[in-house]
Amino acid sequence: MNEDYKIKLAANTAIVASIFSFIIAMLLLLNYYQLKANDPLELESMELLIERLKDEPNNEDLKQEIRSLDLLARKAFFTSQWQVKTGRYLLLLGSIVWVFALRYYFTSKAGITEPDVAQVSDRTARTISQRWILMAGGAILLTAFLASFAVNDHIRLYQASGVVDDSERTADESIEVIAITESPDADQDTQVAEEPTTAGDLPAAMGEEASGETGAVTARANHNGFRGPFGNGVSYHKNIPVDWDGPSGRNIIWKAEMSKPGYNSPVLWKDKLFIAGGDKSIRIVYCFDASSGALLWQQEVKDIPGSPTAPPRVTEDTGLSAPTLATDGTRVYAIFATGDIIAFTMTGTRVWARNLGVPDNHYGHSSSLIVWNNHLLVQYDSNKGGRLLSLDTATGNTQWETARQVGISWASPIIANIGGDLQVVLSAEPLVAGYRIDTGEELWSVDCMMGEVGPSPAYGEGLIYAANEYARLVAINPAAAEPVVWEDDEYLPEVASPVVSGGLLFIGTSYGVLVCYDARSGEKYWEEEADHGFYASPMVADGKLFAMDTDGVMHIYSISKEVKKLGTPVLGEKVFASPAFSEGRLYLRGEKFLYCIGNE
Amino acid sequence: MGQRVKILLFGIFIILSQVMAAQQRFPKPEFETGYVQPSPTTPEPRGLAMEYMDVLVLLAVLSLATWFALRSRSRRGILWLSVFTLVYFGFYRKGCICSIGAIQNVALSLSDAAYSISITALAFFLLPLLFALFFGRTFCAGACPLGAIQDLLIIKPISLPPWLRKTAGIIPVIYLGLAVLFAVTGSEFIICRYDPFVGIFRLDAPYHMVVLGISFLLLGMFVARPYCRFFCPYGVLLNWMSRFSKWHLRITPSDCIRCKLCTSSCPFDAIDHPTEEKNPDPARRNYRKFIIYFLLIPLWVLMGGFIASKSYNYLSRVHQDVYLSELLINHPELVNDPDNLDIQIFLSSGKTLDSLVEEARIIQQKFRTGGWIMGGFIGLVIGITLLNQVVFRKREDYQPDRGDCFSCGRCMDYCPVKN
Repeated sequence: MNEDYKIKLAANTAIVASIFSFIIAMLLLLNYYQLKANDPLELESMELLIERLKDEPNNEDLKQEIRSLDLLARKAFFTSQWQVKTGRYLLLLGSIVWVFALRYYFTSKAGITEPDVAQVSDRTARTISQRWILMAGGAILLTAFLASFAVNDHIRLYQASGVVDDSERTADESIEVIAITESPDADQDTQVAEEPTTAGDLPAAMGEEASGETGAVTARANHNGFRGPFGNGVSYHKNIPVDWDGPSGRNIIWKAEMSKPGYNSPVLWKDKLFIAGGDKSIRIVYCFDASSGALLWQQEVKDIPGSPTAPPRVTEDTGLSAPTLATDGTRVYAIFATGDIIAFTMTGTRVWARNLGVPDNHYGHSSSLIVWNNHLLVQYDSNKGGRLLSLDTATGNTQWETARQVGISWASPIIANIGGDLQVVLSAEPLVAGYRIDTGEELWSVDCMMGEVGPSPAYGEGLIYAANEYARLVAINPAAAEPVVWEDDEYLPEVASPVVSGGLLFIGTSYGVLVCYDARSGEKYWEEEADHGFYASPMVADGKLFAMDTDGVMHIYSISKEVKKLGTPVLGEKVFASPAFSEGRLYLRGEKFLYCIGNE
Repeated sequence: MGQRVKILLFGIFIILSQVMAAQQRFPKPEFETGYVQPSPTTPEPRGLAMEYMDVLVLLAVLSLATWFALRSRSRRGILWLSVFTLVYFGFYRKGCICSIGAIQNVALSLSDAAYSISITALAFFLLPLLFALFFGRTFCAGACPLGAIQDLLIIKPISLPPWLRKTAGIIPVIYLGLAVLFAVTGSEFIICRYDPFVGIFRLDAPYHMVVLGISFLLLGMFVARPYCRFFCPYGVLLNWMSRFSKWHLRITPSDCIRCKLCTSSCPFDAIDHPTEEKNPDPARRNYRKFIIYFLLIPLWVLMGGFIASKSYNYLSRVHQDVYLSELLINHPELVNDPDNLDIQIFLSSGKTLDSLVEEARIIQQKFRTGGWIMGGFIGLVIGITLLNQVVFRKREDYQPDRGDCFSCGRCMDYCPVKN
């Protein structure tokens, strides 16, 4: 065998070996992807059969079918494993032959090469090397340096309670916190509306005499949470406009476009209006000048220890910013479906923030916050269990936490003075329950609710009212041996909460029926049908009932046993949030715009 | 020694080695159903005697490689020795234990008093360094399976420009620094985890590691031994040792006749040319650069140390405790995820998140301190590499670069001077 023939043989062997190895490699890859796409041990059909077996545990044919499928799956798996194992050895063999043939070919073909002629001198090469080493060394250090800033150290920020470390606040933030001068006390001299005669006696019994601290009077002068002071749906302001037209701008004092969506309602403190919005990328708290509509500040909700890197999956009709904010005149508080809860000063400086754990909520968390003195109350009922938390308004630290044996809920807390105890009242499946506001102790509970509870409870006439679609409407006297005073299931709300005023109870359903009951007896006085449903909660202000339907038409009625419709002004865009009131003003959040309405 | 005695000794050795290889701390369970135990993807534990056997084999291979490189000057001998190494330490021993990975065992044993390093690991770490100190990198020539598999696949090597080789030469230093830092903090043995060839030796590896290994081999057909030259952390130590070697491979056995035939023989660009006789640059400029680069070294060290220490937040995430703490802080809802085994194991331990975070903080502190040392070391190497570029040493012959030369012996074959 001469040398040329050997070289040719080596070349041909290398070609055959490379083709062989390539085919084997492709088959192995195919097997890999096939196994990844259809793992025989994770068959969907098998899972379905197993699910069926749970329903039919004695079905012998089904059991046999499962056994056969299992055997088939295992055979497929082990055959695949055998193919992989054999393929590996064949690939190794092919590669070895290819390498040796190729090496022999190139070694035999190689002759004596020309000596290297240096293209550049040693000195020039060293100069070029110096530049590159300097650049590379600098680039490495710079990259590492920048990377150290790009990564947050959540462990350093972590505290056992999960609260942001105070030392992490910037100097500017600290100064702002100290510099706050606004306080509930400062508002003592603000105009306080007369006691409403139409909204029951609840607020009159609350407040200074109940807590020994200021709060109730000031709260009544504002609209500091979802459905106004105490979350009860009753406002204490007068001269509320009853006529406007959004499309033509009649009686629209100002309107401002919201940059981010949200279903939360506006809240007010003196001349400041707070609202929130957010989407997957960003969550923002806004502060508007209530008089002019100017955006005073907006703050992004970010850098919160424990906050999920990606927001939880929520439905479009709830979103990430459904809960309404709360304010006590010193700070404004916001919570989002991410579980992030945050406090800002009235001038927009972040005070504290923490994450309560991402709520397991298939629509999105929507329970609004409510604040009383130094208690920020959070109803946190999710698929993983319920709890009620009281956070210190100044620090965010948990003051107390009460576990609740309830299902998930979208309702919001209200505050009521029941039998001399200042209570926070919650509605969820299956309980409507009251908790002492300073300790979280459960004082009473009534097993009367079911389903996915959206409407919040209401208090009036000494009774608690709770309702939910596909469940019932109940009037509860917590002190009575038989607490359910009356109940009804003819008209039930899905989202909008009930409201009590002047001995009357009003319900707005999602299919557009507005109903008036006698609050004490449950006797139905009247019902009115609107063209669209009610998601925004009906509210009482200035002796009138304001019920906004989803199409943006406000249905205004007198608080009376007879139907007395006072008007149906139109906003011109869809509305899901509840209105907020101040003296002579009505604030509405539409789908895109925020409106201030007044008598021009 | 008679032929019969040799056969008898060989027979005894084979029988004993089988017995010793079968030794296991706990016997495997026996199944009556005929179930065959699958072989694990990681190597089976070895009997102690077999571990010593590995050390003896390494010693023998190192000795032979040294003899082939320095005494018999046989490239063929080195080639077949590397084939043996590939088969024995690579495919038979499945790439474990290896000297490269032993760096981490040594580092961990120095930092953790509770960790007891085996004699085998220590020997695998020290023997090649000792040989390099006296005879050059003969370990790379014939005793390293990672080098062997790349060396056998060199088909058409290209020469890389010096600036690229010098700049890329920083990578192994960084890799070494990180490997030691992760080892001393008990975080991870990254050299083993990201060994690109171990999957080939075991014929089993995660998909991405197979792709990485094959990529290195394909690249190595044209850029000779890319892992050894631009990634191997052990190569950094061998390079330093080899610079001081008293007896190193020589291209020519006697006086160089400057025929230049060897200049293109080295696929690793590890042959230094004779220095130019005339110095085109004024000496003063060189001195000035030397002084500047010399004075810059402390700055490199400080910058490297400061930045690496500051990088603790992302470096420390390699440690399981830090990773788990971050995960639980950022995603507390995962405690309800039954499929997240890391978290489920943590929960079953009964430890609280607070205690886990405390432990994570201690680890982070170690990374801060270790970062200063590692970064300072990397900065020092960058500074010295820069300084070396302005230090000229006079050479009259074509000589192997004592630091970079793998002692593979290719250049010897090209030299026409045989005596």
